[in-house]
Amino acid sequence: MDSLDVRVNGTKVETSRKFERDPETVRDEDLREAIWELGREGEWIVQPVPEPYYLAPTKYGRLKKIPLEHTWHHKSCGQCGHIPGYSTSIFWLNRVLGYDYFDPRDQTSCTAWNYYASATSNQAAQAAVAMRNFSAAYETGYFPLIHCGTSFGHYKEVRHELVHDAKLRRQVRNIIEKLGRPFVMPEEIVHYSEWMYAVREELATRRQLDVSGITATVHPACHYYKLQTGDAIYDPEIYGGQRTAAVTGVVQALGANVADYSTWYDCCGFGFRHILVQRDFTRSFATLRKIEVMKQEANPDVVLTHDTGCVTSLDKSQFAAQAHGRNVGVPVMSESQFAALALGAHPFRVTQLHWHSVDYRLLLEKMGIDVDKAWSEFQSDVDKVKQGEMEYLTWEHVL
Amino acid sequence: MPSDRYTDVALEEKQRLFNEVKADARYESYLYGCYECGICVAACPSARFYDFSPRKITQTLAREDVELFYEQLNDDVWNCSQCFSCNRCPRQNSPGGLITIMREVAVKNGLRTTKEALAGYTRIIYKIMTTGTQVSPDMLQEDAFPDWGPQVKAVSENLDVWRRVLPPETLHTTGLSWQVEERTMHELYAIWKMTGCLDMIGELDEGLHDIMEEIMDDALEESGLVAE
Amino acid sequence: MANADTILIVGAGPAGLEAARTVAELGKKAILVEAKADLGGTPYASYATLTPDLKETEASMKHMLDAVQQNPAVDVRVNTRIVKSEGALGAFRVSLSQESKETVEEVGAIVVATGFQHFDPGRETQMYGYYEYDDVITLVDAEKMFKEGKVVRPSTQEPPEKVAFIQCVGSRDRQIGNKYCSKVCCGIASKQSIEIKRMLPNSKVFIFYIDMRMYGFWEDQIYWKAQEEYKVNYIRGIVTEIIKKGDKLLVKGEDTTMGRPMEVLMDLVILSVGMEPSKGTIEMSRIFQIPREEHGFLQVVGGPLDTVSTPVAGIFVAGAAAGPKDIEDSVSMGAAAAAKAVGVLNRSALHV
Repeated sequence: MDSLDVRVNGTKVETSRKFERDPETVRDEDLREAIWELGREGEWIVQPVPEPYYLAPTKYGRLKKIPLEHTWHHKSCGQCGHIPGYSTSIFWLNRVLGYDYFDPRDQTSCTAWNYYASATSNQAAQAAVAMRNFSAAYETGYFPLIHCGTSFGHYKEVRHELVHDAKLRRQVRNIIEKLGRPFVMPEEIVHYSEWMYAVREELATRRQLDVSGITATVHPACHYYKLQTGDAIYDPEIYGGQRTAAVTGVVQALGANVADYSTWYDCCGFGFRHILVQRDFTRSFATLRKIEVMKQEANPDVVLTHDTGCVTSLDKSQFAAQAHGRNVGVPVMSESQFAALALGAHPFRVTQLHWHSVDYRLLLEKMGIDVDKAWSEFQSDVDKVKQGEMEYLTWEHVL
Repeated sequence: MPSDRYTDVALEEKQRLFNEVKADARYESYLYGCYECGICVAACPSARFYDFSPRKITQTLAREDVELFYEQLNDDVWNCSQCFSCNRCPRQNSPGGLITIMREVAVKNGLRTTKEALAGYTRIIYKIMTTGTQVSPDMLQEDAFPDWGPQVKAVSENLDVWRRVLPPETLHTTGLSWQVEERTMHELYAIWKMTGCLDMIGELDEGLHDIMEEIMDDALEESGLVAE
Repeated sequence: MANADTILIVGAGPAGLEAARTVAELGKKAILVEAKADLGGTPYASYATLTPDLKETEASMKHMLDAVQQNPAVDVRVNTRIVKSEGALGAFRVSLSQESKETVEEVGAIVVATGFQHFDPGRETQMYGYYEYDDVITLVDAEKMFKEGKVVRPSTQEPPEKVAFIQCVGSRDRQIGNKYCSKVCCGIASKQSIEIKRMLPNSKVFIFYIDMRMYGFWEDQIYWKAQEEYKVNYIRGIVTEIIKKGDKLLVKGEDTTMGRPMEVLMDLVILSVGMEPSKGTIEMSRIFQIPREEHGFLQVVGGPLDTVSTPVAGIFVAGAAAGPKDIEDSVSMGAAAAAKAVGVLNRSALHV
């Protein structure tokens, strides 16, 4: 266990006290029981988590089933649109681990970004969008795995409303039936970063690069653990089980250092509408409250997070701040991209870092990656596509 | 105390809007009461940047102060980041959720201040409602994001070929985040119509509404989906 | 009906001690059962001084302990637990277990005075870091230091320059499920703030609160005293996060009188943890079939007009087993429960 001291550096608690959970005081109903009950009453079909699954500890000590394979990848509009290395890395890791998955075309975005930004939707519409996607997943036989933190949080919220509001449930069911689809609720709503947590030891055994010299700061996504708080991973080994272990657990398992900083709980400043039409807020918040504090207190090599909006605001906001001479300049990516790099993924063909704004060269060099060589390999792919020698880059090229 | 900014609006109108907020099915689980502990403000990113307080909004609703409510409906709700850090309220209020409801009411009633707040946003509403994905790769344009640095320009210049060198087959798109089946989009249109979302847009932006209605009606007719 | 002269009292805190003394004074016999090795209950075990008079607990309570220990009418059984109860008013048969030896006692009436336990901050809905940082402590941890005559930062053993109390930890929180005020924490925090200022006159002490609840004489005895004589800073607004910054604790809240978010560095943070029914109280509810009221404490039937009668005939409750109580209330309830228990036995004896 010698290496443990290094691995938990920064997230090890500074006290010998240990929280013992008292089963009598567990608050919050277990929504999953109500979901099965509604299933038995014929209100909806419950899609069970496929085996094999991993049992992960959540905030109030309940265990959550995390499917390892047969997953239906509910993609994120912001990830696929603007940070495509994010989703690509998730898929790539599934392939490297040999897990069967499905990347659907019969999938819409959760539309929650727009809803939280402009309110040009309503409760029933949001629930119907969610249930349409769940229905689509069920019909393929694969189990939904949600890529976006906001989609994950919003779907948990929708699930809570549908369980408690029979009128809404009837209204949405009616809509889904008009679309000619079954009305389905998955047994668990699972975020991809929970899958990452579940496979962290497998990832560690396939690690190609030594990342023990890398220090990361983690930004936990608000919508991952602040919406429907009980349903998020908390590990007694990480921050004494008092903060979510998502992202951190994976980064530590890979052997990198996670450093703490005093605005850990703060939002990234995304703001939904702000990132698009009121970016002075996002830029200020992301840099002054997050990146500068990280720089000052932890001087990380990289910021790792697990949500679309957080990667975007933390990465894109730094350019203007840098122009004003602020103490910023830390590359930002998802833990899926970082894990992919550690497992030997190509930094441009797979993790697609050329879509990111902050300079990532120093980080890659520190990880032992020859950046110039990788870029010229990528450029040769680009040239081949341009000259018509190759239509697309395919999985065969990157595995 | 409310300012005199909205004295020209009749109290009955303010009351009507307040009643609409209160009638939302989620309202009673989003608002219990407020003892002014300030936890929501301490956790709120917007409170650090704007003269904005989730505590004041919650307290205003709890007091049923319709004058102040109307002022906040116009001047404050669009500052919220919708991060829901305020959900840690010990009274179990959801100030962010209350703001979601207030925003919906503001949109549905086509408030002038709402139109102003969402003025630059309509192209995104169009994108999400017609394609089912919110931000497409081709939205990354230098003039739209001048503060994001030269990398945005690099993306837009190389967009077509950079999308082709993405290994996932579903991502070879530029106008959509991923390939969405036609039938899937049509089902989405049916949802917008059946839940009254398209009507909401009518109050916000008539032109946008008419364009989208035409697209959606044609598509629904073609696909044979019933949207009533 | 010889045994109907005996009243079983469960729990030897202030309420149980007073109940036992009163039973004896009214001419009946008492069996006083205490699960722990020592008498005196939570105040005696955990508090160096009492609120509101700041007098040493052991010296103050000595006469109560003596009154039962030196009383032939009180049969004191420490290290003893209740395991079973049968029968009814006038003839309860209660099984006691003392160091794995089981006995059955026949008693006429019962007073349950099993008290409260402090809220465990691991369940707090805010992020206070009690299980992350040694320098975040509870009121109880602070009292332990006071017993040793010191106040230091546990991480360095150095005296703190800035100390913050955070009120309502585990109380008044719908998300935790504790919708009640724990009544005494405002007073105890103010008492402790005075004690800290006495030990460290140059320190700065802050109390972050939602409402200061200092009833009756506590107002000037501790609240005004702390504020006026000891210059303790009362800040209206509670804290949502505590996180380490350098070697200090960064405390984040809103100063609601100023209406702005605030962030201040502290050396020591004391969480004013509230009351929850003790394990013993929950256990007694099960064994004696006493219903729990909606907050989880033992139910009484008379509302404000009868604070000690439970729905079970012949069983009474005293002290914090019935809800958050200060010591004044607990002692008053102890005497009231004893008087009512003796009264009900006298009446049933007449019927026979």
